[in-house]
Amino acid sequence: MKKYSLVGRTATYAIAIFWAFICLFPLYWLFTTSFKSPLAVSRVPTYFPYLGATEDMPPIINGSFFKPTLDHWNFLFDEQQEQTLRHLRNSVIAAVFSTIAATIIGAMAGYGLSRFRYYWARLGWRNDNIAFWIISQRFLPPATIVVPFILFYGAFGMIDTHFGLILAYTSFNLPFAVWIMRDFFNALPIDLEESARVDGATRWQAFARIVVPLSTPGLVTVGLFSFVFSWNEYLFSLMLTNFNALTMPVYIAGQNNTRGVEWWYIAALTMVMVAPVMFIGLFLQRYITRGLVAGALKS
Amino acid sequence: MATATDIKPLAKADGSLTRELREDTLFKRLFLSPTVVILLLLSIFPLLWSLGVSFTNFQRNAAQQAARTAGTLEPSGFLGLGFDLTLENYQRVLTDEHLHTTARNTLIYVFLGVTVQYGVGLGLAALINQDIFGKTFFRIVFILPMMITPVAAGYLGRMMFEKVPPSALSQFLSTIGRAIGNPSLNIPFFTDPGWAPITMVLIDSWQWIPFMFLLLLAGMQAIPDEIYEAARVDGANNWQQFWGITFPILLPISLTAILIRGLELFKLVDIVRVTTGGGPGIATEPLVMYVFRTALDFGNFGYAAAISYILLILVILFSTIFLAISRQIQRAQLGVE
Repeated sequence: MKKYSLVGRTATYAIAIFWAFICLFPLYWLFTTSFKSPLAVSRVPTYFPYLGATEDMPPIINGSFFKPTLDHWNFLFDEQQEQTLRHLRNSVIAAVFSTIAATIIGAMAGYGLSRFRYYWARLGWRNDNIAFWIISQRFLPPATIVVPFILFYGAFGMIDTHFGLILAYTSFNLPFAVWIMRDFFNALPIDLEESARVDGATRWQAFARIVVPLSTPGLVTVGLFSFVFSWNEYLFSLMLTNFNALTMPVYIAGQNNTRGVEWWYIAALTMVMVAPVMFIGLFLQRYITRGLVAGALKS
Repeated sequence: MATATDIKPLAKADGSLTRELREDTLFKRLFLSPTVVILLLLSIFPLLWSLGVSFTNFQRNAAQQAARTAGTLEPSGFLGLGFDLTLENYQRVLTDEHLHTTARNTLIYVFLGVTVQYGVGLGLAALINQDIFGKTFFRIVFILPMMITPVAAGYLGRMMFEKVPPSALSQFLSTIGRAIGNPSLNIPFFTDPGWAPITMVLIDSWQWIPFMFLLLLAGMQAIPDEIYEAARVDGANNWQQFWGITFPILLPISLTAILIRGLELFKLVDIVRVTTGGGPGIATEPLVMYVFRTALDFGNFGYAAAISYILLILVILFSTIFLAISRQIQRAQLGVE
């Protein structure tokens, strides 16, 4: 491609490796901390696992080693099992159902905006105006609407329910879903549907049997982004749940103040929260790029 | 070739719709309505309601506060109605030092965060866009932080920057500090009111530089090689090629990426919550945190709604000004070319 001097090449690799270190080191630290004894966390930073490490090693040389222990993981899934699994389950329920809802509803709206001509006479809005209105909702700071949510949910007994959280997350994920799917359907040739229609399929059949299977990549992108958003969401879970529907991020953030900061335990808990999304993300990383690029380039 | 007989009439002679068109009208509504209904109900309606509440003295009383702690929250008065209208909240906005500090903090996060994230993201994208060994490996590693829950990123920040328990970085800095006899290297990342907001930006940037990196890299890879070849024939060096070709072509996507990140930074709260909790004092407290504290801890819904509207106004101002500026930039760019 291009020619570079030896100095340039070396600098390039040095920077790349340095930044890779910046990205990986905190993750390595999180992972190892979940296997460290409390003493190995609180005295000096210990870097490497070593089964033969003892507590009374001189701190200067051998202090960088710790003896890995499974205590915190056992605690998490034994003594604390009920709490851990409850909040993990809440996170899964909120994320999975809001993802399904947002993807289906968003795909329908995206299809509508791509294939039909709308005209809202009272506002004078056509498809583009409607699409812009929908995407603009995504940038509304959720803090602006949190007070009415508390009042509304309080009045209808929806505080601390799974349904309440799923509903809120669905509405947050919808604008992005509509935007991406509309984009996707715009790029999908209309001929296939039309020939299906000529062959006697109804509009619904054409949508369900031809369009949906062809738009799997778009649906995966939307599903991935919705899932990650709901999984990571903090503010609304904090405001709208107390206990029964409380999700992992709020549960983990709450570990801050309970019994002093127990880093080893927080690290294990955080691993449980982060690992699923990370694996999904790595597995589907080409969809991440696609989602971001489609989201940014077309707006 | 379509002939006149191929085109089906949409309406019969008597004016009634054909089955075909009726079906289409039905589906046309069916496809879009769920989205519109949900957004009206859960976005537009709360937005207007919030505005309404911000003009009331709606406040949860002590008994309700206790009920909330016990988990049986029931705000008195249906849906916050039945309270006096007042302008007090907005009068308080003008004189509330706490609000001004939190607004300043939020703006620091937005501007500093966007600058750091764009700068580093652009550099890294240019780095990886070269023909280097291990490109895929670096790309995947570079985007890892983005896949982490922000709450987890906050905790990671504490593990990296805190002194108790001693972090690797603080150990490293104090060792170097001792070696060169300069103890001021031992930076109080979380406890100093000057440093703490910067630390928040650093943690958020660690997580979101990958976003800029990915977008800009995708943009760079879409630029055809022929453009560079032509420039090389004209004798342009790498540096000139980057600022003369890559950067201007990336400008539209850059502006969009900056806008998206800026708007997201207005919402920053989780990282602050698990690191400093807003402290020292209120030196790192963003507006969003002030909103939920006013609502949850003090039960003052009226004022919380007013603050949230200040946040909304800031967001709208930011986007409007930003869009105007980017339109200017792009017009200027087109003019030059």
